[in-house]
Amino acid sequence: MKKSLSRIIALLMTAALLAVALAACGGTTASSSSAASSSSAAPSSSAASSSSAASSSAASSSSAASSSSAASSLLGTKDVTITFWHCASDEAGTLMTKYIDEFNKTNKYRITVNAIYQGQYSDATTMLNTILSAKNYTELPDAMQIDATGKVMYSTSGKAYTVDDALAAHPDDKLLSGLLTAALANWQYGGKQLGLPFATSTTVTYYNNDLLKKAGWTSAPDNFSDVIDLYADMQKAGMTQKVLQAVPNTPTLANWLGQIGSYVVDQKNGSDGTATKLVCIDNGALAKFLTAWKAMYDAGALMNENSSVDSFVAGDVALMTSSSSALTSVLSKVGTNFEVGVSKYLRVNDTASHGASVSGSCVVMFDSGDELRKEAAWCFLQYLASAEVQSDFAAGTGYIPAASASVGLEPYKTTEANKPQYKVGREQLLKTPEAMRSVTIGPSKDFYYAIMQGCSDMLANNESVSDAVATLNDSLSTLLTEYARNNK
Amino acid sequence: MNSAPPSAAASVRDAQRRCAPRARRGNGLKIALFLAPILVFTVAFTYYPFIKTILESFCSVNTKGEVTGFVGLENYAYVFGRSDFKKAILNTLLLTAINVPVTLFITISLALIANKKRPLSPVYETLFTMPMAVSMSAACMVFKSMFSPKLGFVNAFFHLNLGWFENRATALYTTIILTVWMGIGFDFLLFLSAFRGIPSQITEAASLDGAGFFTRVFKIQLPLISPTILYVVCTNTVLAMMCSGPMIIITQGGPSRATTTLMYMMYASGYGSSDYGLAAVVSLVAFALTFGFTILAFVFERKKVYYQ
Amino acid sequence: MSRKTKRRLGDAAVSVIAIAIGLILVFPVIYCVFGSFKTAAEFMKPRLLPQSFAYLENFRNALRQAPLLRYMVNSCIVALFGTLARLIITIMAAFAFTHYNFRGKNFCFFLVLGTMMIPGDILLVTNYTTVSALKLLNTYLGMCIVSFVSASQMFMMRQRFLSVPRDMREAAMIDGCGDVRYILQVLLPICRPVVITLFVQSFITLWNTYLWPLIITASAPNMRTIMVGITKLNSWEDTNYELVLAGVTISLIPSFILFIIMRRSLSKGGMDGALVG
Repeated sequence: MKKSLSRIIALLMTAALLAVALAACGGTTASSSSAASSSSAAPSSSAASSSSAASSSAASSSSAASSSSAASSLLGTKDVTITFWHCASDEAGTLMTKYIDEFNKTNKYRITVNAIYQGQYSDATTMLNTILSAKNYTELPDAMQIDATGKVMYSTSGKAYTVDDALAAHPDDKLLSGLLTAALANWQYGGKQLGLPFATSTTVTYYNNDLLKKAGWTSAPDNFSDVIDLYADMQKAGMTQKVLQAVPNTPTLANWLGQIGSYVVDQKNGSDGTATKLVCIDNGALAKFLTAWKAMYDAGALMNENSSVDSFVAGDVALMTSSSSALTSVLSKVGTNFEVGVSKYLRVNDTASHGASVSGSCVVMFDSGDELRKEAAWCFLQYLASAEVQSDFAAGTGYIPAASASVGLEPYKTTEANKPQYKVGREQLLKTPEAMRSVTIGPSKDFYYAIMQGCSDMLANNESVSDAVATLNDSLSTLLTEYARNNK
Repeated sequence: MNSAPPSAAASVRDAQRRCAPRARRGNGLKIALFLAPILVFTVAFTYYPFIKTILESFCSVNTKGEVTGFVGLENYAYVFGRSDFKKAILNTLLLTAINVPVTLFITISLALIANKKRPLSPVYETLFTMPMAVSMSAACMVFKSMFSPKLGFVNAFFHLNLGWFENRATALYTTIILTVWMGIGFDFLLFLSAFRGIPSQITEAASLDGAGFFTRVFKIQLPLISPTILYVVCTNTVLAMMCSGPMIIITQGGPSRATTTLMYMMYASGYGSSDYGLAAVVSLVAFALTFGFTILAFVFERKKVYYQ
Repeated sequence: MSRKTKRRLGDAAVSVIAIAIGLILVFPVIYCVFGSFKTAAEFMKPRLLPQSFAYLENFRNALRQAPLLRYMVNSCIVALFGTLARLIITIMAAFAFTHYNFRGKNFCFFLVLGTMMIPGDILLVTNYTTVSALKLLNTYLGMCIVSFVSASQMFMMRQRFLSVPRDMREAAMIDGCGDVRYILQVLLPICRPVVITLFVQSFITLWNTYLWPLIITASAPNMRTIMVGITKLNSWEDTNYELVLAGVTISLIPSFILFIIMRRSLSKGGMDGALVG
């Protein structure tokens, strides 16, 4: 009996050991994206990659010069590995992997970047939120790619190592001036520069030039009433397609209201501080927009469904308002089916200003407490925002290069020369009024869906504009007040 | 040994007592060791979260999950005032109301067809049970592909142009088709073994007495398998009320909240938007409704279910 | 026509109709398997059959693009470990409930049974916070820990233990057999059919769980189970359906194997009281 008892104890102990091992068995920091990087390295062009390899070492040496001028730089003293969470997929993902590999190979400070693809931005911010709630600060990455929905969470995390902090430790006068002001401004919150822009885009209008020509139009529609006229002409030419398929959401609504001079929420659309109320109701801007929107739908020119690239590529709609970042992908999907044109973002009416706010993503850093890792992360951030990387990235995706020097560098220079569609977004960005900001609020997801719901219901249920405004006012304000109540 | 002949009841009791192991008073430590694991996990992962959810529904919780104050019924007022919550309740109830009877009808019919053992029985029995072999994730991905408006088989084969999962009018019904399909395999198995468990003398006697097919089914077979029917109705109701998988995988609650169910809303708000107060209220409402339906089913049992 | 021939014809007719219905029912599976052999261009055309069943590129690409085999190993580990842990806990608890009398026995018993009334899904958010506070995110233990208790299985085990004659235990006690030895060497061998059935049921349930592994492994793609993995196969912009279907087909193979095992174990009659009616 004693023998079997000891056997039992041995079994239990093995089970306990197994449990601990399984608990320790995890997949975050240990696993890198090596599987993805080794198989999916699709070369954009061999000339481009070799030139960018040469120039990126130039970039890192120039940043080496600037950072070593700061007091007691730890870079290069020993090997350091930093964790980088990113959300780049498809073309952007392939390029991101390429840049990380290049950085790992060519940087002079023995820095290795361990990149982990986190899926969509919403997944990444959820993960971040879990870590912050559980106070598992050791799980935080050193650098992370976030979009607008992550700004508030990052800023209030208590562990943010902002660009301002990094520049205070390692001053560099020339860094920020080499980047586009609008791109930088998008990543400020509460007066601090949170991160450096990586992917910069704005919203533009894609049009099917073949359909337009058939209807007798030589240039793209400029505003909503043009859309109605285009539809009338298309009908006359015997075409059955609609002109536009879209449902307004937070960024597009912010653009359209910004064009007619109004913010959506207070605190300059939430970029100065926590937004607590809507400002587009009392000044009538929302009503003005919805009236013009409804007019398009009533004329038959608008389809009350979410914008879909597949519909545009299939030739079912003449226009598509979408991010400038989709350009490369749209061009490759359309191929030779029809001619794709890009024009400025639609205006609400002809007295509105042109332009659209910046969207995209930036890279931010976290304070791990380890000075070497923080410096390494800062070095990596500057690499991603360098003119060469930005030029290559913009040419491969359609994003706008955040570094102003990128326009003169290959491969973006040739791309813009050969395909003028790439120029439109960039020029629009330069001309967008500085006051136009994207919306930064706490309940970003719910806000987004509430706007979509309100606008599409107005059209689907044939409500009046004033009813729709009342419903939107109610649902959106409730979201803001609830968030404020819970997160004092 | 026996002074008087034992009565029938006494001998049954004796037999039972002889069979069941006698419970002893063991030492407390040993009992505690044996029971500790299950009690610890039960409390930690069922009761503690349940009570915490109830408490949190009466407090304000910030996005980091910290409770910042007691607010009484304010969370409930906020949630019940939201139009998307009302839509979620409606969607969930509609899904349940259609799913349960349709599944019942289909699986009972299939079980009736397959009841009699024929030479080719193994073939179609396996075919009918096969949806059970397909996991929910796989089923969702396949249906998403099949019902894709532009690339899917259904639109192409039937020459339709419906939006299925992508059109707000049809999305919920397409989801119901999916959930019904997923449930057919297991329920068919249950009903088949239930029907085959009815002694053949009863049905034979009935047909000898001149009872037609439908009379046999409705007056004899169905009442005799009513315990199984109750079980299937209960489990399917709970499954339908708690349905969230297809929404997360295929529709993300859309388009325009057409497929947002209570559990999806809880997942999106609790895990996605970190609105923990909302998540707590929604999950409690879902629990209350499901519990209510289960109680109703048991009340119905007392009246209509026959045990042999 | 004789009665027998009429019956045979009737049987044949019903069989054919039944098989036809069965094929329609199983059509999604057929569609999935056929679709995984199609090329991207073929997929655009609404034909059922692929050009050739020798086109294995989709499987190769799916395996290359996503670590499907790793996902299956993850699923295996989670299901196996969770099932073993659950069985051990269940057996220990059922033994305590049947062989001992103690104060609060009924209370504990109904406490465990009460979990049957509370669906696990509504406790998701709090359990997630608990597990992440225990630092078990992205781990195997974190994925199975919420499934360690199954009240219905504990109930079934208890019923089975109750039906074991008392003489067994008393004889063993006379021989000086301790509790643990008794369980391992006498009780479990007697109740083997039920244990096997519960093992298979547990394994399949844990293999098929979706929601909990989804949120626990959200940031560790390598730790995902196969169920979560196949739903993440399409990136949000492009959907190469033939790759997705190839991945789903690969995931169906173990599912079908488990299905066959389950049918076998059910038919062996180990379902004492598991099926109602």
